[in-house]
Amino acid sequence: MIEEIRTQVAKQLQKLDGIVGLRQTNQGTGPFLFRDGDDLNQLVLEPRYPLPVVLSKLQKQFRDANFGIVARGCDVRALVEMTKRLQIDSDRLYLIGFTCSAEQAKMCYCADPFPAIEQWPKAEMIGESVTGVQPNPLVEKFKTMSWEDRRTFWHQQFQKCIKCYGCRDICPVCFCEACSLEDPQWVEPGLLAPEFPTFHLIKAIHMTTRCVSCRQCELACPSEIPLTVLYDLIREDVSNLIGYIPGADLEAAPPLSLTLSDAPMKSDLV
Amino acid sequence: MSEPFEPKVIAFLCNWCSYAGADNAGISRIPSPANILPIRVMCSGRVSPEMILRAFRSGADGVLVLGCHIGDCHYIDGNHRTVKRIPLLRNLLGYVGINPNRLYLDWVSSAEAPKFAKVTNEFVNTLRELGPISEEIKIGVGV
Repeated sequence: MIEEIRTQVAKQLQKLDGIVGLRQTNQGTGPFLFRDGDDLNQLVLEPRYPLPVVLSKLQKQFRDANFGIVARGCDVRALVEMTKRLQIDSDRLYLIGFTCSAEQAKMCYCADPFPAIEQWPKAEMIGESVTGVQPNPLVEKFKTMSWEDRRTFWHQQFQKCIKCYGCRDICPVCFCEACSLEDPQWVEPGLLAPEFPTFHLIKAIHMTTRCVSCRQCELACPSEIPLTVLYDLIREDVSNLIGYIPGADLEAAPPLSLTLSDAPMKSDLV
Repeated sequence: MSEPFEPKVIAFLCNWCSYAGADNAGISRIPSPANILPIRVMCSGRVSPEMILRAFRSGADGVLVLGCHIGDCHYIDGNHRTVKRIPLLRNLLGYVGINPNRLYLDWVSSAEAPKFAKVTNEFVNTLRELGPISEEIKIGVGV
């Protein structure tokens, strides 16, 4: 598959100003803007990296440039949410989507490890789709736990937090310039572990209608807090309450900022 | 000898309906509990999750959000945001083990003084049963 992608990248580079991808050199692997003439043998797909964040920064800096991106399923879902929130200009973007390997999808408990590219103006797809991935068993287990058990569980987890902001920094849909998590009005500075419930619940509630379940936050967390259990539960709530699935539809506007007539509630949830 | 537990309640009241409703209850001499600490906001849609979480963090045993009825909002659709936001936050509180019944949303218009008294009384009674929040959030330490 990688050869196919390299060929496609080389072909598109003749038309585009550059393609964002991962480059592997002797120094390690990192995000890189491939230009025409670069050594495409250095283009790799692993490990997972939030490339949409890099693309967003590039698009904002170079207002006229046409960039491409090599993106997997979760990257494309993130691009959808970022486009709706004006962090990505879809007209200046060429998407080269590829599917994750079955092992990768299983590791991520990823429900749709293949990019949905039909709705994008300029896109193509490489690879076959992977099916039959089981959801995170911890989420199901969590639903049957009592409030006391949940409290104990999260107290133990949040106690490990070193407030590195890694989960926020790596998140493709966390892009606000003024962050509530750094505002002393909401989160008291200088406390370790950070305040409960403010720090973690503000992050979590901001993830409603945004979290595309890419699990980068969990990968980045040095304390290995299973944040996506919380975010998966919220994703399910949003889907039950309003019928909105973040990252699925490029046309659907974020429902929390719409009126009840534009985005009606499906249930009370309470 | 310890005194019986009396919950502290932060109530976010919208300027146009619920604050006037609370005022009306006072003028009409309808008793409502003294546990309520009202904070006037211009719209129930102004009440961000951050404000509610900080109230809990600061030791509020319950948070009450009262606004205009759907359709009667002074800003036409401000409370449409509230009605979606609060259930999500309630569920989130449940997921981390804070009783979601500590957060309550209802609509009280400026003419509904008896309803204001009823809602506040019922909410405070619920909180009396739930006990202090310090058992669910350890105040004063990080986690």
